Amino acid sequence: MKKFYYLFAAVAVIGIGAVAYNVGNGMFGSAVSAPIELDLGNDEALVELAQGVEKGDADAPVTIVEFGDFQCPGCGSFALSVKPQLDGTIVASGQAKFVFYDFPIVSIHPNAFLAARAARCAEDQDKYWEYHETLFRHQARWATASMPSSAFEDYASDVGLDGGDFSACLSSDKYADVVTANMELGTRMGVSGTPSIFINFNGQTRRLSRFDFESIQQEIANMTGTEGTN
Amino acid sequence: MAPPTNRMVIAILALIGLCVALYLWAHNAGLTGPIVCGVGDCATVQSSEYATIGPIPVSSIGVFGYIVVLALSFVGLQPAHRDSALIGGLLLTGSGGGVVFSGWLTYLEAFVINAWCQYCVISAILITLIFLASLPEIPRLRGGTS
Repeated sequence: MKKFYYLFAAVAVIGIGAVAYNVGNGMFGSAVSAPIELDLGNDEALVELAQGVEKGDADAPVTIVEFGDFQCPGCGSFALSVKPQLDGTIVASGQAKFVFYDFPIVSIHPNAFLAARAARCAEDQDKYWEYHETLFRHQARWATASMPSSAFEDYASDVGLDGGDFSACLSSDKYADVVTANMELGTRMGVSGTPSIFINFNGQTRRLSRFDFESIQQEIANMTGTEGTN
Repeated sequence: MAPPTNRMVIAILALIGLCVALYLWAHNAGLTGPIVCGVGDCATVQSSEYATIGPIPVSSIGVFGYIVVLALSFVGLQPAHRDSALIGGLLLTGSGGGVVFSGWLTYLEAFVINAWCQYCVISAILITLIFLASLPEIPRLRGGTS
């Protein structure tokens, strides 16, 4: 029995040690998951830093802007139900481009900031929109995770990202300034909840109170003086 | 009576299985970094809908199962219980159930998820070996010794 106990102890030390090592690495990683202090000189610097992510023809006359929070259920509904309709019609036709700005409401959605950074890391590998949809599709899982990084890395694999590059980006402070600047820009534009949808045409900007597909189409028609298009 | 060798084997195998299940549980709980996966596509399997049964991660079921098998084998090594038919029966049925469950998970990997997780395969092999190591318990169930 002594030999058995020695062997058992050796296996226990090696096995549990390996698990503890991986947990330690995960818990003490340096992923920035909350807004940071920004030291911007002026409004122009803020606008330059607060880059949204665009989809569609850059020269499209209409811009649909969303300030969104990846952990917000309403934003999930918009992303998975309304946005695909917009993409397939007015964005595809070149009438409008869609721009997403991050507005994680960290006071109630503690994983949202890191999710926003994760999506930006996916943008490094030209897979922003695939990752954007994946985050919303799996929102229920990662939203309640105490440390969602591993879920975000799983999704990176799902959409075909280079895991090493993605992981290095996520576990750093990359894009913490961009996401924070997005939040500041939204705050200055009066955004307090998500999703917040704006339509811009010819220098005019209107904020929508309803953001179902038909309402967006109608607002665009009103602003451009055309009938609803498909 | 000498300690049953098969129960020592089961204890070691269950300990290894417990470590594998603990790692997956920790990963699913968001406590680790990226899953370390030398062979296969662990991330796809672990992020699939089949990684949970309702609200319960499959890895949690694995942790619980291996703890039970480990505890039974350890108790079964103690002098008072080396001949225990109850422990033998529990080891047989528990590991048998584990083989069936692992078989179903393996089927899902092969034909539904279309991706393999090396940890799931290792666990399936371990529980199968545990079941085989439990077969010498059959004579104890009949009131004999093995």
